[in-house]
Amino acid sequence: MKMEEMSLSGLDNSKLEAIAHEIYTDLVEDACLGLCFEVHRAVKCGYFFLDDTDPDSMKDFEIVDQPGVDIFGQVYNQWKNKECVCPNCSRSIAASRFAPHLEKCLGMGRNSSRIANRRIASSNNMNKSESDQEDNDDINDNDWFYGSEKKAKKRKSDKNPNSPRRSKSLKHKNGELSSNSDPFKYSNSTGINYETLGPEELRTLLTTQCGVISEHTKKMCTRSLRCPQHTDEQRRTVRVYFLGPSAPLPEAEGSVENDSFDVAESQALMSRLQWDGSSDLSPSDSASSKTSENGWGVGTNNSESRKTKKKKPHLSLVGAAPGLSSNKKKKPKPPAPPTPSIYDDIN
Amino acid sequence: MNKDAQMRATINKKLIETGEQERLKELLRAKLIKCGWKDQLKAHCKNVIKEKGLEHITCSNFDDLVAEITPKGRALVPRLCEEGTFSKNKNFPCSVCQPLR
Repeated sequence: MKMEEMSLSGLDNSKLEAIAHEIYTDLVEDACLGLCFEVHRAVKCGYFFLDDTDPDSMKDFEIVDQPGVDIFGQVYNQWKNKECVCPNCSRSIAASRFAPHLEKCLGMGRNSSRIANRRIASSNNMNKSESDQEDNDDINDNDWFYGSEKKAKKRKSDKNPNSPRRSKSLKHKNGELSSNSDPFKYSNSTGINYETLGPEELRTLLTTQCGVISEHTKKMCTRSLRCPQHTDEQRRTVRVYFLGPSAPLPEAEGSVENDSFDVAESQALMSRLQWDGSSDLSPSDSASSKTSENGWGVGTNNSESRKTKKKKPHLSLVGAAPGLSSNKKKKPKPPAPPTPSIYDDIN
Repeated sequence: MNKDAQMRATINKKLIETGEQERLKELLRAKLIKCGWKDQLKAHCKNVIKEKGLEHITCSNFDDLVAEITPKGRALVPRLCEEGTFSKNKNFPCSVCQPLR
């Protein structure tokens, strides 16, 4: 302890500096020694000169400092004017445009696959909604039309979304252009291939959709029951045309025309709507059923039947009234009588 | 003289014991690499070896190499590094002495 006390007292600035300098020198020498060890070992092991290049290579890769040439000695505009021949399409393409051209030509780049996928997706979208509806029909009616599936599928692929045909039909719509393009195909088949669309299907369709047939395209409107483009009159006409005069009318209609009915009868009307319409083609409605018969399989008679329908809207309603009252009693039995009669008409 | 020697010995001892010596060494080494001293000295080594010949270096005493390089190394240390280490060196003896007081 004494020694240390002595050292404390002897500590002044100059001495401190001397000590510091000594420590510093030791440190530097230590660093040098460390480096020497490294170098000696590198020499002994033979890797000391490895990172040097031989003089020949040094000459080859010397930095070039001439005008018109870069530091590697390459000429700047060498590839500007050159043209290449595309191996795929045998066209002569400018060198700078060659790579993107080849990408599109071969269809193998990132961009071209993206474009193709988008095209497929958009065409699928057009076809998918159609196929959903048509498939149901085809499943149901396989025994009728074995080949219908194939035909239907062919038709789908034929219908190009960009074809002029499609735009034509779109133009002739009752102003419904954008949203209803898909179901129109389905409803086209409703008019033409009425056999594939059973009465049940049709009834369900008419209870959920507007269903008014456009004069130009003979297609059914697939908007909601309250679609603003068609009047209730039109909807009623269509329903009467397809399902007979005592067809279930769209709800709005029913409520509007309550004047002629009793409240009880309107309620019966509502309940009938739920069952999918017991469209009683009762003998009293033979006149109207005849006209509907005419318009059955072929779309061309639509206009005629519609004219007749227009003359008799009230009549059909009045005719419906007794039908309704009778229906109250006949509730359990409805499906049996109408369906065979409809099929009779078809046959 | 004895006192000084004793003092130095004590300080050195303390340096090693506390691990301060190691720390200072590492610090200095890092500084020297950063300022490029190591690369410079290595290039100098290459020149020396090229002059003397590779075999000579490996066969001859290691001390020759050291003797050649060390003075150059000492000379090459940049001023900044020197000063930085200096101040740290000064701090150490003080920190050693204070607890003793």
